[in-house]
Formats: sequence, structure tokens, C-alpha cells
Amino acid sequence: MRNVFRSRVVGAALVSLALVAGACSSGDDATDGPTITVGSTNFGEQLILGEIYASVLEANGYSVERKFNLGTREVVNPALKSGEIDLLAEYTGTLLTFEGGTPSTDSDQTWSDLQNAIGDDGLVALAYSPAQDKNGFVVTAATAQELGLAAVSDLAQYNGQLVLGGPPECPDREFCLIGLQEVYGLDFAGFTPLDTGGPLTVAALEGGEIDVALLFTSDGVIAAKGFVLLEDDRNLQPAENIVPVTTEEIMDAYGEDLRDLLDEVSAAITTAELSELNKRYGLDAEDPEDLAREWLVSKGFIEE
Amino acid sequence: MIEFFGDLARWFADNWDGTAGYLNRTWEHVQVSGLAVVVASAIGVPLGAWLGHTGKGGLAVVSVVNIGRALPSFGIVALALPITIRIADRVPFIDSGLGFLPTFIALLALALPPIFTNTFAGVRNVSRDTVEAARGMGVTERRILVDVELPIASPVVLAGIRTSAVQVVATATLGALVGYGGLGRYIIDGFAVQDDLQIVAGALLVAVLSVATELGFGALQRRIVPPPLRRGTSLRRRALRRLQPSARTPA
Amino acid sequence: MILAQARDAFFRWDWVADHLDDIWEKTAEHLVLTGIALGVGLAVSLALSVVALRFRPSYGPITWVTGFLYTIPSLALFAFLVPITGFTVLTAEIGLVSYTLLILVRNIVAGIDGVDPAIVEAARGMGYRDRQLFLKIELPLAVPVIVAGLRIAAVTTIGLVTVTALIGQGGVGFFILRGLNRFFSTEIVLGTVLSVLLAVAADVALLLAERALTPWARRRAAL
Repeated sequence: MRNVFRSRVVGAALVSLALVAGACSSGDDATDGPTITVGSTNFGEQLILGEIYASVLEANGYSVERKFNLGTREVVNPALKSGEIDLLAEYTGTLLTFEGGTPSTDSDQTWSDLQNAIGDDGLVALAYSPAQDKNGFVVTAATAQELGLAAVSDLAQYNGQLVLGGPPECPDREFCLIGLQEVYGLDFAGFTPLDTGGPLTVAALEGGEIDVALLFTSDGVIAAKGFVLLEDDRNLQPAENIVPVTTEEIMDAYGEDLRDLLDEVSAAITTAELSELNKRYGLDAEDPEDLAREWLVSKGFIEE
Repeated sequence: MIEFFGDLARWFADNWDGTAGYLNRTWEHVQVSGLAVVVASAIGVPLGAWLGHTGKGGLAVVSVVNIGRALPSFGIVALALPITIRIADRVPFIDSGLGFLPTFIALLALALPPIFTNTFAGVRNVSRDTVEAARGMGVTERRILVDVELPIASPVVLAGIRTSAVQVVATATLGALVGYGGLGRYIIDGFAVQDDLQIVAGALLVAVLSVATELGFGALQRRIVPPPLRRGTSLRRRALRRLQPSARTPA
Repeated sequence: MILAQARDAFFRWDWVADHLDDIWEKTAEHLVLTGIALGVGLAVSLALSVVALRFRPSYGPITWVTGFLYTIPSLALFAFLVPITGFTVLTAEIGLVSYTLLILVRNIVAGIDGVDPAIVEAARGMGYRDRQLFLKIELPLAVPVIVAGLRIAAVTTIGLVTVTALIGQGGVGFFILRGLNRFFSTEIVLGTVLSVLLAVAADVALLLAERALTPWARRRAAL
């Protein structure tokens, strides 16, 4: 009897501890209103952007919860629509496609189309940032030289011979394998699922297991490793400006002050700066929290 | 629900061929698992048998049991990657530090403890009288081990290999996280695009493979264990069962 | 081709020293996840065991179902639950608890079954009714076997908690995942080693708890 009783007591104690810990983490409510849950998908840049927005909100007195590293867009988008998360840094072109629209390389047009597309789901696209992050198809410098590659369309001469590597969802993506096949008429010898522009993909490219890799244009690793980013000469990739997406509930609760704050932050992010932050996260193992904080301080959003 | 099963059946009908088809993925899965178990047995059985025979190293065995079960499969697979990348960089004939190599190394590390400890326990627990009798008859130490102790210990040794194999098959799914194929691909890729059908199909295939492995070893056990030991007295059966093979860890 | 790393050391102690509060936080999270899983798992297993002991034919089906849950690769189980219960502690716990059931039910039933029938007879003779018999005689005597199962369940649960990093939880698995996502071996080593240490510590703690709960075993051994 004793061991049953004891383990029940221990179990109950642990559960209460968890509940208390959960309650305590909501922190001070300097600004009255619902907690803003900031989410992110599962790659470095998302963690950094998520941290930037979350930190600046906290610094301005909002009550913030973080749910990072959740997975791909298929996972995170429903979470946004269902209210499990309230704010997410997205990319105009890809999100518009995901919502059934047709983006273009025009940032403004893509953004306003996006606003319309997501309005029905109770979502709001705030102002977009000048920083963009597009899918980039990358080869090693050696390969580029050997095969004479400068643009994506150059790959067509080697149809059936090259192996593409990228995130597992690439074959399902219009701006990945599907687009390469339809817009560029490319035919790869195979596709190797790896990770989302991360070290597996980089290692596979360097090691020669794949010939062409999907990386992201704002990823500092491309420059750091001396890879060659093939030019998107047929404009497969649309405008992919970073845009924070939030819910109507949050906008109703907080209104223009919130919008102004986030718009100011978004306007200050540039592709070059983002690339640098990405590199420091991915290659130098710095923490997203530190990187976000440092950037916010340098731009004057936070004091330190 | 019915619709789901219909879709599932269709998935199995459509996806058997090609590199991404389940025949190939199952083969990849079996390859890395099989090799890990074979190598682990090649190392663990002789080592465990020798230590069991000489009676030394009891403390080492206890530590291996505890630590072996405590190893988190996710951690071991992830850890293997930077190690194999470094190895591939320095060793010229190894092409790739991704995919097969880290998965194999991780599975090997996880397969060893049950095989080693079971062999040790099995050989150790052979009745001293039997061993003494053999010694009395002038049989050499090596022959005692090979002709007397190992055959008597074989049910326990095989149980260890069986436990290890089933565990390895389940854990090999994590290989998809380090660039390998195998059945874990369906689970990882399915999760990435929220394709429940793929996840369930992958999980089902792994479960089937696990059960097949379990049954396969059962059949092997019936072949290899010497007849006199198969039937055995109820006392021996109870004794052997008490040498409970380390409970396998889920993947 | 050489994979040049900006920080080549396999394990960086300075990074660890800088991140002690993160480490503490994740370790605590890990322990909480484990504790809940074991607590709930034990409760559910006790209930199932009582059913199995009262109504023998149910033991088979109970072990089949818990055994079947056991063969599902944990990754698949968590991945499958996410669309239903979200990226929550609940999802992680449903999975974690499921994996404890088989070993706990088996051990509880075996433990109760293994109680010396003579003692049960004597107790009945003294007037113990069924529920009292179970709670005051059989269960305490089954403690060693039950704790043995609990130890195995604890160690495997601690290992499995790392997998929940892939669905937003994770405890120290968080470090493993992040290290894997950016090739930072220090984090991977850290997460793995912490998991092993926690598991070994839990094993020892439960062993000591068993000793504390069964003073009669010590007394008998001392005679």
C-alpha cells in the first residue's frame, strides 16, 4: 500500500509543480490583454526572427509565450489558424501559394494578394520587411566550374544525371522540385531528403552525395562555404519578403500600437543583416536569443 | 475511418516500387539493422562468453546493463553524425559521413549491451558441476566454453540477440534524421508534410518488420538450441526465464 | 573535402558553462515530463492489473494492446498524435505513458502472483478481506518486482523524453535537436550525456526507494 500511496503523492506533487511552473511563466502583464504566443517553424532563421519579435514585444510590456521549432508550414499554419499560436514570421510568396494564390516577383502585389487571401481565415499580414529569403539552388564552386553552371536553366543540359537534395517536403513544393520540373523542365536522377537548409544538406553537398542543394538565399553558409547560388533566370521564385502574420483577435486586442511596433521592427531587417545572423547561428553556434537581443539593441529597439 | 483504411490500402498498392518505394525502404532498413546485429553479435558473444567463462568483469557487466538501457536512441543517432563526418573526412576510402554510417554506428552501440550481457549471464549460469565434470574429464578450457557452456547457454544468448534485433529494427527509424533512408523516412517525411497516411503506413511497416524479426528469431532458436535443452525440466525453464533478457527499450 | 567548422572542438566546456541556466531549465522540464509519465503510467497500470488479476481472461488482451503500443516507433506515435492534441505536454504524455504500460502491468501482475500463497492463506485465516488483503499484504510484498518494473520504465521513459523534442517538448532532447540542426556537437553530447545521467540517477533513486519501502527484506537478510 505504501508504495502506491507514495507514488501517487509524488505524481501529484510533480503535476502541481508543472502547473505552478506553467502559471508562473506568464510573467508580468504590463499591457493588459491576451498573451501573444509567438511561433516558429523549424530552421535557424525562423528561430532568430521569432526571438526578435518575441523579445521586442516583451520589452514593450506585452505578455509573450514562445512556441518555437514546431515543424514545417503544414504543421504551423493550422496552429496559427486554430489559435494555438498568434504570431508567425512568414514569407509572402510561399504563404500566398500555400493559401491558393499566385504570387509574382512584385513585393507589393504579392503582399496585398496575401492580405486578401488570408483575411478569410481571420489572419492579418502586417507590413512586410525589405528582407527576403527565397529558395536557392546551390552547387559547389568546383561543380559550377566543371559543368559551367551559372543559372538554374543551365542544369537542363544534365537532365537525368544530377541528384538534388533538400528538405523532405521539397517534392511537394511548387518552388522546389515541382517548379524545377515544370518551369525549367529539369529532370533529376534522384532526390535525397535531408534537412531544411541545414548541416545535413550542406554536408551532403560538400561530400558529393548530392549535386544540387536547396538552401536559402539568406543563409550565410552559402558565402561562408564558397558555394555558387544559381541564378533564378526564369523567375521561379516569387517575392519572399519576411512578413509577420498574426490573428484578428490579437489585432483587436491591441490595435495600432502593436502594428506600429512590429512594422517598425520589420522595416529595419535587411537581407544582409539576416544572413549574418543566420551564419552566426548556424556556423558559430550562437544562441538565437543572444543574436536577437544584440540586433534589437543595435537598432535601438531595446536598451542595454 | 473506413475511408482511411481504403486510402491506406491504396497507398500500399501504389508505393511499392522505386527508391522511395517501401520495398526498397524496407531493404534499406533491414540492411542497416542486420549489419548492426551481426557485428554486435560478432563482438558481444565472444566477449561475453569469455568473461562469463572466466568469471571476471562482473562489475563491468552491471555497468553495461545500466548504461546500455539508459542510452537515449535519439541522442546516440544524433551523436554518431558529427563523429562519422569527422571519420569520413579523415579516412580516404569512406565516402560519406551521412546516412548509412552514422545510423549503423548508433545501432551497433545500442545492439551491443543486450547481446553482451545476455551471453555473459548465460555462460556464467551454466551449472558449475557440469563445468567441473568436463574439466575432470580433461577437456580444455576453450573446448569447455565452445562445446559445453555455449550450447547450454544458447537459449539465453539467442534471446539476447533477439531482443537486440527487435530493438534495432525499431530504432533504425531514427536513421532518417541523419540522412538515411529506411522506413523512418515515411515517418519523418510524413510528419514534415502532415501526411498522416504516410506516417501510419511507415509505422505499420516497422511494426510488421519488428514482429517478423521476433518470429524469425523464434524459429532460429528452435533450430539452433540443442534438442536436449529444448524440452528441459520445468526447473530449468524457470531458471532460464529468470535470466530475463534485458527488457528491450522502445525506439 | 574538408568540412571546415568555425568551432572545431568536439565538446566545448565554455559553452556549457555559459548555458547553465538553460541546462537547469531543460533538466527540470525533463524530470517533470518523466515524473508525470511514471505517475500516470503507474496509476493506469495498477488499474489494469487489478482488472487482470480479478478477471484472468483479460490479461491476454491487456498485454496484447499494451504490447502493440510498445512496437509502434515512438516517433510515429508522437507524429500521429500532433494533429489531434497539438504540440502540447499532453501529446508527449500520451505517448510516454503508453510505453510504460506493458512493463508495469506485467511486473505488477507477476509481483502479485509471486506472493507466497501460504502468506495469503494465513492472512485470510486472520480475517483479511479482499481489498485489505490486496492493499496491505499482496501489494507491499510485490514491491520489489514492481519497483524493478518501475526502474526499467523510468530509464526508458527518460530516453524517450528526448524524442519529444521533435514535437516541441523535449527536456534535454532540446539540446540534441538543436545541435543536430546546426552541427553543433557540443549540444548533442550534452543532451545525450544528461539523459544518461538522469536515467542512471533515477535507477539508483528507485533502488534506494525500494530498500526504504521493504524494511522486512533487510531484516530477514540480516538474520
